[in-house]
Amino acid sequence: MAESGSSLELSSSLTSSTLPPPRTRIFKIIVIGDSGVGKTCLTYRFCAGKFPEKTEATIGVDFRERLVEIDGETIKIQLWDTAGQERFRKSMVQHYYRNVHAVVFVYDMTNAASFRSLPAWIEECKQHALGTEVPRILVGNKCDLQDSIQVGTDVAQQFADAHSMPLFETSAKNPNSQGDGNCRNSDHVEAIFMTVAHKLKSQKPLVLSQPPEGSGGTINLSRGRDDGGDGARSWSCSSC
Amino acid sequence: MKKLKRKKLNGGAVVNENGSATREPECGKKQKLAEIQQALIRDPVDIETLRRAAATKGGLLTDELRRKVWPKLLNINVYDLPHKPGRDVRENHKDYNQVVLDVRRSMKRFPKGMPATERAALQEQLIDMILEILKRNPQLHYYQGYHDVAVTLLLVVGERMAIAMLDKLSNYHLRDFMDPTMDSTKHILNYLMPILEQVDLELHDFMIRAEVGTIFALSWLITWYGHVLPEFKHTLRLYDFFLASHPLMPIYLAATIVLHREKKVKQTECDMAMVHHLLSQIPQDLPYELLIGQAQELFEQYPPSLLAKRAALQSCKSLSISTFQAFQRSTLHQRPDCVLQRLTKAQGSTTSSHAVQHTGLEAALPGERGQLWGKGNRMVKMAVWGLSATLGAAVLAVAQTAMEWGPEVLLQLF
Repeated sequence: MAESGSSLELSSSLTSSTLPPPRTRIFKIIVIGDSGVGKTCLTYRFCAGKFPEKTEATIGVDFRERLVEIDGETIKIQLWDTAGQERFRKSMVQHYYRNVHAVVFVYDMTNAASFRSLPAWIEECKQHALGTEVPRILVGNKCDLQDSIQVGTDVAQQFADAHSMPLFETSAKNPNSQGDGNCRNSDHVEAIFMTVAHKLKSQKPLVLSQPPEGSGGTINLSRGRDDGGDGARSWSCSSC
Repeated sequence: MKKLKRKKLNGGAVVNENGSATREPECGKKQKLAEIQQALIRDPVDIETLRRAAATKGGLLTDELRRKVWPKLLNINVYDLPHKPGRDVRENHKDYNQVVLDVRRSMKRFPKGMPATERAALQEQLIDMILEILKRNPQLHYYQGYHDVAVTLLLVVGERMAIAMLDKLSNYHLRDFMDPTMDSTKHILNYLMPILEQVDLELHDFMIRAEVGTIFALSWLITWYGHVLPEFKHTLRLYDFFLASHPLMPIYLAATIVLHREKKVKQTECDMAMVHHLLSQIPQDLPYELLIGQAQELFEQYPPSLLAKRAALQSCKSLSISTFQAFQRSTLHQRPDCVLQRLTKAQGSTTSSHAVQHTGLEAALPGERGQLWGKGNRMVKMAVWGLSATLGAAVLAVAQTAMEWGPEVLLQLF
C-alpha cells in the first residue's frame, strides 16, 4: 500500500542497523497548517522515503517516525501530522503539543488563505507554551504549480524573517509525475526535516550539505536568511 | 481481571430497544433472509427483528437488503424521499471549500475498478449531498470525516435515500460530532477508558501511564470506521450494526478492538507516541463478528449510564444519547413498503423535501406535512395532523406516547 495511511515508516537507510541503540534520542516535531496544504504528503515523504500516491483528510493526529544518523548519532525523528480543520485543532490536537521539540508550519503557495492563517497557527503554538526557543520553520508547499502561485517568495520571506524562521519552498509531489524526472525535489523534503534535526542536535545555526542535484528543476529550496538582522535568534539553512 | 476474555462469545446477539443484547441461536443465511423479508412486510414493520438481523452474524447480508432495511432502521419512507439538491446548494456556505477539498481527495472510498468519470460524478453528488444537509440544518457543523459516512451511504442507497439517511443520522447518532466545537465528541470518547477499566485494569493502567489519550479512536468514532477500514464490505457490516444500535456502540466496539490487541499493546514501549501509533492502526484481519458480539456484551454489562456513574463522567450533554430512546420508539410504528407506496401515492405527495427532518410521525403520516412544517404553533400542527391524516388512530397513538415522554422529547421531535 503506497498510500499515506499512517503506517509506521521506520527507515534505516542512514543507519547500518535497524535496531536503535538503547538510548536513542527522540526529536518530536509537530507539523501544522491549514487543511489541504500537504502536511501528510510531506511527512509521508520524509518517513517512507517516497511520495504517497494519494492522501486523504487527516482526522485527529497521525504519527510517523524515522531513524536518521547525524554526526554518528542515531536519532529518532517523530513527526506528528495533524488535522487542518479548525475544530480539530481547538479541542483535539492540544494533547500533542506537549513536549514538542520543534514546529513545522506549512502553507500552500497556491492558496493565499493558507498563508494568511499562519499568524493564527503561530498564536496557537504560543498558547501551548511553545516559545521562540523552540525551533520553528516555515514551509511553502506546492511550488511546482508555478502557474498558480499566489504567495510570492518575497512576501513569505518577509514573514519568515519577522518571525525568525527559515523559509523553505518545496513540493511534495512525486517528481516522476512531472516532465523533468530528474528534479530530485525529494532531497529537498529530506533537507527540511534534516535541517530541523541538525538544529535540534546542535541548537546552533548550520549549513546542511544536502546535494542539490538537478537544481535546475522547478523546485527551490530557498536560502535561509543570512543577512544578520536579529541573527542571534534566527537560524538558517542553505542547501543550494 | 479479564472478564471479557474468559467469556465465550455467543453465536449471535441482538440489540433490543434499549440497545442491550440478548442471546439468539445462530441461524443460517437462508433463514435469516426469510426472516428479514417477513419482518419487512409485517404491519407495522417488525423493527426488532430487523435490528437483530443487522447486528447478528453477517449483518444484512446484501446491498439489496440494505436498501430495504436501512431506511426502516432510521424510520424513513422510501416513497417520500427528498429531491436531488439544486444548483444553489453550493452557494454561500461557510464549509463549501472544506467539503470540496475532503471529498475530492477521498478516492480510497470508491471501489477500485470504478471508472474515473463515474467516481467523479459520485464525488460531485457527495458534495451536493453534504451541503444540502448542512443548509437544511444550520445547527449542524461539518467535520472532516463526515464525508466518509456520507460516501458509505451514497454507494449503497443512492443519492436521494442517502440524503434522507444522512439527515436523520446527523440529527441523532452523529449529532454530537456536529456541534460548533468538538467538546461533545471528546465527551463521547471519554467513555472508552472506563470500559477498559472494567474489563482489563492492567491494560487500562498501562494506557494511562503511557498518556496515550483517546484520539487514536477519534476517526473510528466519527466515521463509524469508514475512514480506516480498507475493505468496504467490513465497513458495511459495521454500518448495519451501528444503524441498529445505540449511538455509543462505536465506542464499545473501539474497546473490544483495544482489548483484542491487549498483548501487543502491553508489549509496546509505554510511551504516548508508540501506543498511539500501534492502536491507531487497525489490523487487516480483525474478527469483526466476534468483536461485534463482544461489543454487545460489553454494552449489556456496562451500559453508558453505569459507566457515567462509575467514571464520574461529567453530566452528559450528549444530544445523541439523550434523544436515542425517543428515536428508537419513533421507529416502532412504520408501515411496510407496499402500504407506504399506496398511501404515499394516494396522498399525491412524493415530494416533500422537508419530511425527513422530522422523526416520529412521518412514516405513519404520508401526506401534506411538507406544507404543514411551516411556521406556527407545534401543538396546533399536531392537532391538524391528527384530524387530516388517514391514519388518525395511529397518529394519535404516537402523539400520545410523545406526550408521555415529556416536553423536551416533544420539542426534539418537532
